[in-house]
Amino acid sequence: MILYDSRNNKMRSDAVDTAHVLVIGSGGAGVRAAIEAAGYGETLLVSKTLAGKGGCTTMAEGGYNAVLREADSCEIHFEDTLKGGAYLNDHNLVQILVEEAPQRIQDLLEWGAVFDVTDCCEVAQRPFGGQRFPRTCYAGDRTGHEMMATLIDRLHNTDARVENEVTIISLLLDGPRVSGAIGLDQRGELRVMLADATVLATGGGTRIYDISTNSSSGTGDGYALGYRAGAELIDMEQIQFHPTGAVYPYDARGRLVTEAVRGEGGVLKNVEGERFMRRYDPERMELSTRDIVSRAIATEILQGRGTKNEGVYLDVTHLPRSQIESRLPVMLEQFLKFGVDIRDVPMEVAPTAHHIMGGLRITTHTETTLPCLFACGEVAGGVHGANRLGGNALADTQVFGKRAGEAAGKAKERKKEVEQKQIETEEERLGTFLSGEVPPSTVVRSLQTAMWEGAGIFRTGPELEKTLGIIRHLQTFRPRAVSPANLAECCILQNMLVTASLVVKGALLRKESRGAHVRRDITQNWDAEHSPYRHTFLSLSREGIETGASL
Amino acid sequence: MKELSVKVFRFDPECDDSPHFQNYLVRVNEGARILHVLHAIHDEHDPTLSYRYCCGSGQCGSCAVRVNGEPVLACMEEACDEMTIEPLDLPIKKDLIVDMEPYLDRISSLVPGAEFRMPTAEEVEEIKPLRSCIECLACVSACPALKVVEFAGPAAMREDMRLSLDPRENCDRVTEAVNEGLFTCTSCQACWKVCPKDIQIPGKAIEKLRALANKKGLTLPRHQAVERLVRETGRSVDRICTSFLEQVPEVLEPYGELKGTVGFFVGCMYNMRLPKTALDAMEVLRRNGIRVIIPKEQICCGSPLIRTGQVDFLDTLKRRNIDAFVFRNIDTVLTMCAGCGSTLKNDYDCPFRVMDINEVLIKYGIEPPARLPLRATYHDPCHLLRGQGIKNQPRELITQVVDLVDMPSICCGSGGGVRSGVPEEAAALAENRRKEIEKTGADIVISSCPFCEFHIQEHTDRPVKNIATVLLEGYREKDRKNAQVKPC
Repeated sequence: MILYDSRNNKMRSDAVDTAHVLVIGSGGAGVRAAIEAAGYGETLLVSKTLAGKGGCTTMAEGGYNAVLREADSCEIHFEDTLKGGAYLNDHNLVQILVEEAPQRIQDLLEWGAVFDVTDCCEVAQRPFGGQRFPRTCYAGDRTGHEMMATLIDRLHNTDARVENEVTIISLLLDGPRVSGAIGLDQRGELRVMLADATVLATGGGTRIYDISTNSSSGTGDGYALGYRAGAELIDMEQIQFHPTGAVYPYDARGRLVTEAVRGEGGVLKNVEGERFMRRYDPERMELSTRDIVSRAIATEILQGRGTKNEGVYLDVTHLPRSQIESRLPVMLEQFLKFGVDIRDVPMEVAPTAHHIMGGLRITTHTETTLPCLFACGEVAGGVHGANRLGGNALADTQVFGKRAGEAAGKAKERKKEVEQKQIETEEERLGTFLSGEVPPSTVVRSLQTAMWEGAGIFRTGPELEKTLGIIRHLQTFRPRAVSPANLAECCILQNMLVTASLVVKGALLRKESRGAHVRRDITQNWDAEHSPYRHTFLSLSREGIETGASL
Repeated sequence: MKELSVKVFRFDPECDDSPHFQNYLVRVNEGARILHVLHAIHDEHDPTLSYRYCCGSGQCGSCAVRVNGEPVLACMEEACDEMTIEPLDLPIKKDLIVDMEPYLDRISSLVPGAEFRMPTAEEVEEIKPLRSCIECLACVSACPALKVVEFAGPAAMREDMRLSLDPRENCDRVTEAVNEGLFTCTSCQACWKVCPKDIQIPGKAIEKLRALANKKGLTLPRHQAVERLVRETGRSVDRICTSFLEQVPEVLEPYGELKGTVGFFVGCMYNMRLPKTALDAMEVLRRNGIRVIIPKEQICCGSPLIRTGQVDFLDTLKRRNIDAFVFRNIDTVLTMCAGCGSTLKNDYDCPFRVMDINEVLIKYGIEPPARLPLRATYHDPCHLLRGQGIKNQPRELITQVVDLVDMPSICCGSGGGVRSGVPEEAAALAENRRKEIEKTGADIVISSCPFCEFHIQEHTDRPVKNIATVLLEGYREKDRKNAQVKPC
């Protein structure tokens, strides 16, 4: 193990941890990848948290989309996903998603997942926004938690090793090829891990916004790690604002209020009691796609028809109490903790940053643009286009998690060596933190506010330019680690700044409104299906926007 | 914004000799949770404070800490002024971060069988209440048993039961649970009461696993003997003296004005081991205007059988006991045994109201007794405090007659069949109680449960008395004083 010796600020080079496959991230995609990779060779899963507790999968409430019934079809799921994604999705990735989602839920069931079932012992499904068939499978409103519990169970039954509470701070390179990663443990000691193949499954990053549903680990580490190593990212401007986040108490603002609430029949009303969705999408009403519902709510609030807590009402009081208790137990429990009984009183909700549709560019085998680096789950781009359908993310974690584990598992054995220079570069970076000046938490707050104000639901070129300016300014600060244990916070802050800059750069590159990305300063005479633009792309060596017919 | 003063546990085993508490004055928003206080300390005061958190919405189980002694999720519980924040009662890694991994590793995982069968809707409904566990380990922190014996703990037992219910599981989780300490649980309910997901581990997992163990012939021999005794005699203890029921008429009229009528369910321990205490209670009730009807055909409530998973004979017991009171048109049944009271309230479907004696006395109000020159401490019986939610009433009664010094509410080790089945554990837990009693400097120990009274008395040199007995002593002292001042 190579250790960072805090007494003399020097590296101690004893040993390096090696594995055939290194998986970074312990959410649904990472654990699924590790389970699969373990069948091919020694697999090491590194988690910033305690595996199973971190990431956003465990917080996912509503469900998992899979075609399971005769009356439904993969073609319809494919079309729904493309239409919901404003036709920006990679068709071949969507094809795989819809075709393999049913097999992957079957894996979970065989490993013990406890989904709700019908009286005929079939997995129960509920309607979700933007889908023409009720194909969202669920375990009450703790679907992601159920999946995570099952996946961790399964992981324990494999030979994969788990390193808990180690924060990966950089990918290691052997020429153009990714050869592993370097991390910090809880005490701030350096850990080096070398592998034949590395899987990035670090999840999303909407913690860069002031109001977000993400867990503490949603800091965009994977986007930054990949970008800094030279990988190409696409569509980073596409940020999903979930329509319904909690607005009170202030410190818990943004907390997810699941789409299942609307799936079960919850209605949205403004302060005047009007079901305003009829003005925005009279056909689909509350079960329109998330981009449309979010904009509708934001517009109502901006135009003065919001509550005093700056939200709108989400009302389930007309539903049978037993339905709320059995299908939405987590929502009931959470709101009760905050003094609101949703069986009697409407919830107050407002949009909250939820999911990054963009990410590392991947092939159908989850290969990134860097050799030996694979990406799956939210950190990868292309599956969800410009707006993700509720229920497609959990399916994505399993479908592409499995593919990443398999592809990485099949990687060639290589000699595992680490170039001392790369370690020294990290050492230097960490050294600057120990003599830094600004508490990272201060910079994080500035960034979050700037992103919410300048790169939120409604965007303009000048505001985006200004936001990019703020990010660049924040990048000049030298964050301070008061002890080695605080070094990881500084690295994470830098990751957040990189991720935020990618989001804003993508937003500037995309001179059209499409899906979740709205440019108020641009008028266009095409709809999403006929847009001349394809992916935005960003890497260390090039950036731009693709044009031409959709793939 | 508001300002809160909080006390936080700090300890770095790598450089500190011992833990210490640090006071902080923090500014947080209205409605802030404990987690936001920790963030405020970390961001504004001391970035070296270590604590674990992740989802911030009560779903990942990373952030459990003890606040004023009680395990809670930091992200869900509202912060309050003057609170003390400590780590869970587990090995400490640093400050509020504990080593969760050894405990998480003890939780079993499903091993699929060769043939796959989807669980039915009924099976899913049965599994679900056990499945919402977020493995925060609040229950492990609160469990008294695993601190004195080898026990995998409540979270692991919960999963063993969930796996036993799952048609996909291929292993014998019942035998595994027995080997992991299934019979060491005292059914004190502490795990349930601290569970942020309200999972009823003792009733829905431990007792159910014990019932499955019974079917496999794994019930402890001492527990089997109790079951035989109940079948043969209707009582869970053997006869060694004249019972309470043999000493009283069927109706006891109050001495003064009638305030209310109750039926009395005496329970095996007060009937046959501590009849004098039950007689004391009758005196206190009569003195306070309560008419007591005592059906003589009542038998064991079945608690010793339920707690040990021997439930075949239970319906017979329930029927006989319910009928005994229903035939006399009794609408309120009074219990003074915490275990019987909890059983009648929680395991029976009674067509009448069940009230503990402490509830009844507070409801009707009592004549003030004379004060006794004693300092007492009170042991909360688990089946009264957690089984019936009765905390303040006993204290209100006690403070009318003696000075009270509180001690932490922890199981004495007599419940759940542990006293008979795992005596060394019961003794170890009672020894912990003895130490707590000593710390209080009390002259006497007061409780309100025959099991606790009997068990604690064996482990302390201070007299252990029932609340009713102490009240009666107060009345006798009052009468004595009144007799003295009256002219001859």
